[in-house]
Amino acid sequence: MEITASVVNEIPVLTLRGRLDGLAAPAVEEKVAALLATGPQRMVFDCSGIEYASSAGLRVFLATAKKLKTVGGRCGFASLTPPLREIFGVSGFLDVLEIHDNLESATA
Amino acid sequence: MQQLTFTEEIVLLALDDKTGAQLPLPVTALGYGLAGAVLADLAIAGKIDTDAQQLTLLDPSPTGDPLLDPWLALIAAEKNPRSVASWLSVLADRQQEIEQPALERLISRGILKRQDKKILWVIGLRRYPTVDGHERTEVRTRLGQLILGEDLPDPRDATLLSLLRGCRLTDNIFDGPEFSARDARLATLAKMDLVGREVSAATTEAIIALSVAMNAPVPHM
Repeated sequence: MEITASVVNEIPVLTLRGRLDGLAAPAVEEKVAALLATGPQRMVFDCSGIEYASSAGLRVFLATAKKLKTVGGRCGFASLTPPLREIFGVSGFLDVLEIHDNLESATA
Repeated sequence: MQQLTFTEEIVLLALDDKTGAQLPLPVTALGYGLAGAVLADLAIAGKIDTDAQQLTLLDPSPTGDPLLDPWLALIAAEKNPRSVASWLSVLADRQQEIEQPALERLISRGILKRQDKKILWVIGLRRYPTVDGHERTEVRTRLGQLILGEDLPDPRDATLLSLLRGCRLTDNIFDGPEFSARDARLATLAKMDLVGREVSAATTEAIIALSVAMNAPVPHM
């Protein structure tokens, strides 16, 4: 999995490309931990390149959103690919996470 | 105190607070719940991963936890990938082998005590009442607040709630009108974990199969 960190409108963005599975999840977790250690109130996952997400991948997303919410922050999920949208739907994530059609609206 | 495993938590929460007897559950429900708990523990330990199609072995090296390692070895020995539902079925058939060591662990942790009684001076009856009920109260309070509130769950609580609902324990643990009014919220939370969803599906299937076999009406689920 390719993980790219950037900042858009002063909001940290992690762009993920490829398969977010049990092998890739620890690396994403590590990036998220480093990013959250800087104390942001918001962050966004750019999901436009995610081909697949397993249970381990979904746990990383939920844990990140929970951590930010606990400190009064927000975590956005932008540009869900069709397979990811389907998994989010089945898992109820569409109902509880902050979903955006694109990166522009997620970082507005 | 060291964090309880999902397996220990399900075993603990499946017991009646006062009597230490197992709570009334649909047939095979606890078996599937414990099987799901083992898989959830292995997933949290980074040993397996799951999706709708199959369970994937990530790391066959032992966890060091004797409650989990026999099942990890069983999964590692399987040559062909199998679905979560298939593994639930395999592990549910071994319910006693999962449950008994977990009960022993809870006793050694000082959470449960063993109580042997005789009915009519002959029939032996073993119960596992809690020592002071602290752990069970803590879990119930934390999850109850999650159901009644609007907070996001952390992945661990989402998994535990999903497993509890999957094996129908939530009906026993979270009773009362305040929880009945939050059924939609509980359903949303319980959807968040794939293994819990599969436990629910397997339990539902078993209830329907039993109802059909007994020519009884299928209960509302």
